[in-house]
Amino acid sequence: MTFAERMLRIDRRIIFLLIGACTLIPLLFPMGLAIKTSPEVTSVYDYIEHMPEGSVFLLSLDFDPASKPELYPQAVALLHHAFTRNLRVIGMTLWLPGTGMANEVITHVAQERGKVNGKDYVFLGWSPGGGSVIINMGQSISTAFPTDYYNQPTASLPVLEGVQSLRDVQYVVSLAAGTTGIETWYVFGKDKYKFELGGGCTGVIAPGLYPLLRSGQINGLIGGLRGAAEYEVLIGRKGRAVAGMDAQSVTHLAIIVLVILCNVFYLTIRRSTRGGGQASPAGN
Amino acid sequence: MNFFRRRLPLLITFVTGVLFALQYYVPHPVSESMLTSVTKWLQIIGGFALVLGVTSLFHLHAVKIRRKEPGWGYSFVLYAGMIGTIAVGLWHNGKETVDNVTTAFGWIYNFMMVPLQGTMFAILAFFIASAAYRSFRARSPEAAVLLIAAIIVMMGRVPLGEHLIPLSGDLTQWILNVLNASVRRAILIGVSLGAIALSLKIIFGVERAYLGGGKE
Amino acid sequence: MTATGRTMLAFALLAPLAAQAGERLAPPQELQVFDTPNDGGNSLTVTWAPAPHDGPGTRYLVMVGEAGPPTGTSPSLAGMTVIADFPSDSHYVRDARTPWWSRSVPKTHHQYEIKRGRGNGNGVKDGTSYAVVVSAVRGHESMMAPALQSVPQPNWFNWNELNNLAIVVLFGLVVFGSIQVARKREIFLRRIAGLDAVDEAIGRSTELGKPILYLTGAGDMSEPSTIAAAVILGRVAKRVAAYETELMVPHRDPIVMAVCQEITKQSYLEAGKPDAFKEDSNFFITTDQFSYTAAVDGIMLRKKPAANFFMGSYFAESLLLTETGASTGAIQIAGTDSDHQLPFFVTTCDYTLIGEELYAASAYLSREPVQLGTLRGQDIGKAVVLGMLGIGTALATLSVMTGLDVSIVLDLFKDLK
Repeated sequence: MTFAERMLRIDRRIIFLLIGACTLIPLLFPMGLAIKTSPEVTSVYDYIEHMPEGSVFLLSLDFDPASKPELYPQAVALLHHAFTRNLRVIGMTLWLPGTGMANEVITHVAQERGKVNGKDYVFLGWSPGGGSVIINMGQSISTAFPTDYYNQPTASLPVLEGVQSLRDVQYVVSLAAGTTGIETWYVFGKDKYKFELGGGCTGVIAPGLYPLLRSGQINGLIGGLRGAAEYEVLIGRKGRAVAGMDAQSVTHLAIIVLVILCNVFYLTIRRSTRGGGQASPAGN
Repeated sequence: MNFFRRRLPLLITFVTGVLFALQYYVPHPVSESMLTSVTKWLQIIGGFALVLGVTSLFHLHAVKIRRKEPGWGYSFVLYAGMIGTIAVGLWHNGKETVDNVTTAFGWIYNFMMVPLQGTMFAILAFFIASAAYRSFRARSPEAAVLLIAAIIVMMGRVPLGEHLIPLSGDLTQWILNVLNASVRRAILIGVSLGAIALSLKIIFGVERAYLGGGKE
Repeated sequence: MTATGRTMLAFALLAPLAAQAGERLAPPQELQVFDTPNDGGNSLTVTWAPAPHDGPGTRYLVMVGEAGPPTGTSPSLAGMTVIADFPSDSHYVRDARTPWWSRSVPKTHHQYEIKRGRGNGNGVKDGTSYAVVVSAVRGHESMMAPALQSVPQPNWFNWNELNNLAIVVLFGLVVFGSIQVARKREIFLRRIAGLDAVDEAIGRSTELGKPILYLTGAGDMSEPSTIAAAVILGRVAKRVAAYETELMVPHRDPIVMAVCQEITKQSYLEAGKPDAFKEDSNFFITTDQFSYTAAVDGIMLRKKPAANFFMGSYFAESLLLTETGASTGAIQIAGTDSDHQLPFFVTTCDYTLIGEELYAASAYLSREPVQLGTLRGQDIGKAVVLGMLGIGTALATLSVMTGLDVSIVLDLFKDLK
C-alpha cells in the first residue's frame, strides 16, 4: 500500500484528535483576531439601536440545549443591547426543552443590568402549539399567556402596559435552531400582525434563510457563532462568541488542510492507476 | 365503524380545511375570533399529545420488561429516569430555580440534559471533519467547483481566513447573497408548491395516508 | 468663485424655496375620507390630491373628532384631536403598496390611515361616525379643507389578496386536473437512477446475510417526504420478503410506525411470504431527536446492517446517522427534501435522491394516479412560476430603462396586503 493510500485510509480517530486539539488549543491560547461585521448582522443591531426608549422588544428563544453554543451567546448579546437601550423586553420560547435555558439567560443578563422582573422585562415561558401560540398572541398576549413563568398575571404587569397583542410589539427576534422558528414567526406573526422581524439561527440553517433576508421578510440575520461574535463586537462587549471564533478559525483551517491533502493523495493515486491501467482508487 | 375511522375524519378535514383556507382572505373580526378559538383548541390538543407520547413510551418499555426482551435492563433505566424527573419536576412545579437557588429539577436539567444534548450536537463537528476528509474529492469538474466554493466559504466565515485571504470575506458574502439565495429560493418555490398540492389533496380527501391503516 | 458665480449659485439654491413661497397655500383638494378597505375595521383612510405648495416648509395636519360637524360645512375644531403632523412631501398612496385593482385614487395622491397604532393610543371604533379635517400649514398660515365624515367598518374580503386566491385556485385545478388525466391515461415519468441503487443495496445485504436498516425520517404522516418514504418502504419490503432478508425499521412517530407496519405486512403478502413477516420489524423508539439518533447508532454498531436507507425529512441528526453507518461499511442510500441536510447526505451516502427525486421515486414505484398527477401538476406550476419570473424580470427591466409603468402586470405577481 502506497503512502497516499495509507493516508486515505487513516483511522478517523486521528482526525477526531486533530479537531479536538484545534478546538482546545485556541481556547487556551487566544489569538484575538479582528472580526469584520456583515450587513445582515448590522441590520439587526441598527434596528434595536434606533428603537426609542420604552419600545417593546420580544425575544423568542426557540432552541434546545443542543444549540446552546451558537444561540446562547446571541441571546446574551441581544439582551445586553436591549437592556442598555432601556427597551421593554418580553422573553419566551416555543421549544419546551429550551425553557430552563431561556429563563436562565434572561434572568442572568437582567440581573447584570439591574433590571427588574415585571417592570423592565418579563419571561412568559413556553406554551404548546408553535404557530398557534403566535396567532393567539397576535390577538391577545394575556390570553395566550395568562401568567408568566413565575405565575404573575400578565395583564397587570407594568412592563406589558399598553401591550395588548403582537401589534403593539415593535420588534421581534427569533433565535431558532430549526422548526418551529423564524419561518413560523413570519408566516403566523409578521405576515398577519405587521411587526418587524429579525432572526438568529445556527450556522447550518443560515444559508436557507437568505431568501427571507433578501426579500425583506426578515430585516436581519445573525448566523451561527460568527453572527454572535459580530454582534458582541458591535455592542462593544466581547464574550464567549468572540472567544469561540479563534477555535472555529483554526478548526476551519484544519478541515481545509485535510480536504486539500485528501485531494492531493486522491489525485496522486488516480494518476498512478491511470498510468498503470489498474482499478480506480479505493476508499470511496 | 368505517364511518368513524374514515368518513368522519375526512368530512372534518374537508370542512375545516376549506374554512380556514378561506379565513386567510377574510379580515373581519368574526373570522379572526374563529381562528383564535381554533388555535386555542390546537394548543389544548398539543398539551394532550405530550401525555400521549409519555404514555406510549411507558407502555412500550413495560412490554419489553415483561417479556424480558434483549436490552430490557435499559428499559428499567428509562423508567427510573422518567419517573424520577417527573416526580422532581412536579415537586418543584416545573421550575429550575426558586429565588435564585437551583432546584433538583434544575440540577437534572443543567447537569444531565444540557450536557447530554450538547455532547450529541458537538459530535457533529468531528463527524463533519472525518466525512469531509473521506468524501470531499474532486472526482469531476462539478465536484471541483463545489470544493472550491466550500473552501472559500469556510475561509470567509472565520476571522483567520479573512486575515489570511482578505478577499474571501467579500466572496463569501457574494456566494451567500447571490448564488445561495437564488438556489434556495428555487428550492423553496418547489417545496412550497409541493406543500400546497399536498394540503389541497388532504383537504379534498384525495390523500388519505395520514389516517393510517395503509391502502383501502 | 466670481461674484456672478456666487449669485447664480444663490439663485439656484433659493429659487425653489422662492417659488414655493410664491405658491399660495391652498386647502387640500379632492379630499376623501372613507372606511379603510380590506381590513378588520377600526380604521379610516384619508386621501387628497398633491398641491403646488407641497415641499419643505409646508406641513399637513390631520385632525379627527367624534360626531363632529356635518359634512361640507366650515369645521369647528372643538373636540378634534391632531393625530398626524407630517411634511407635505410625504405620505403618498404609492407608499402603502396596494395593487391597482384596490386603489380608488392615483398613486400620486396623499394618503393617511387613521388606526390604533403602536403605542400612539389613537384609534377609531367601528360603527361610530368620525369627522376628519385636513389642514395645510406653512409657518403661521393654515388652510383647512371642509370636514368630511365617515364610519369605520370591518370588511368581509381582502381584495388585495385576490391574485393570491386566484393563483391558489388555479394551481389546485391544475393538480386535480392532472390527477384526473393520470387516472385515464399513462403519464410518462423518467426512470429515477436511485432506484437501481435500491435494488443493488438489497441484493448486497442478501448476499452478505446481514439485515437492512430503513429509516423514515423525523416527519409525521402529513409531510410529503414521509409519505414518499413509506411508499419506497413498500417496494423495499417486497424485495426483502422475496429474499427473506431481515428488515429493521425504527420509528420516531407512532402513527408513521402504524402506517409502515401495514405497508410492510401488505408487501410481504404480495410477495407471497406472509409467514416471514415479523410484527416487530417496525418498532417505535422515541420522539426525541438525539435519543432516537443514539438508539439507531447503537443498532448500526451492534447489528451491522449491510444497507442503510435514510428516506424522509431530517435535521441535525443526519450526519450522526450516516457517518456511523459509513463506519460499519454499509451501503447507504438517502432521499430527502431537507435541503439543509443534503450536503451531509451527499458526502456520506453512496446515492442520494435530492428533493423532488424522492417524490418522483415514490410516484414511479407506486404508479398511483394521485402521485403521478400531483407530480405533473407541480411541474406545470413550476413552469408557470418560471414564466412569471421571466416576464416579471423583463418588464421590470423595461420599466427601469424606459420609465414605462408596468405595475398593471407586476402587481398580479406580487404579494400585497
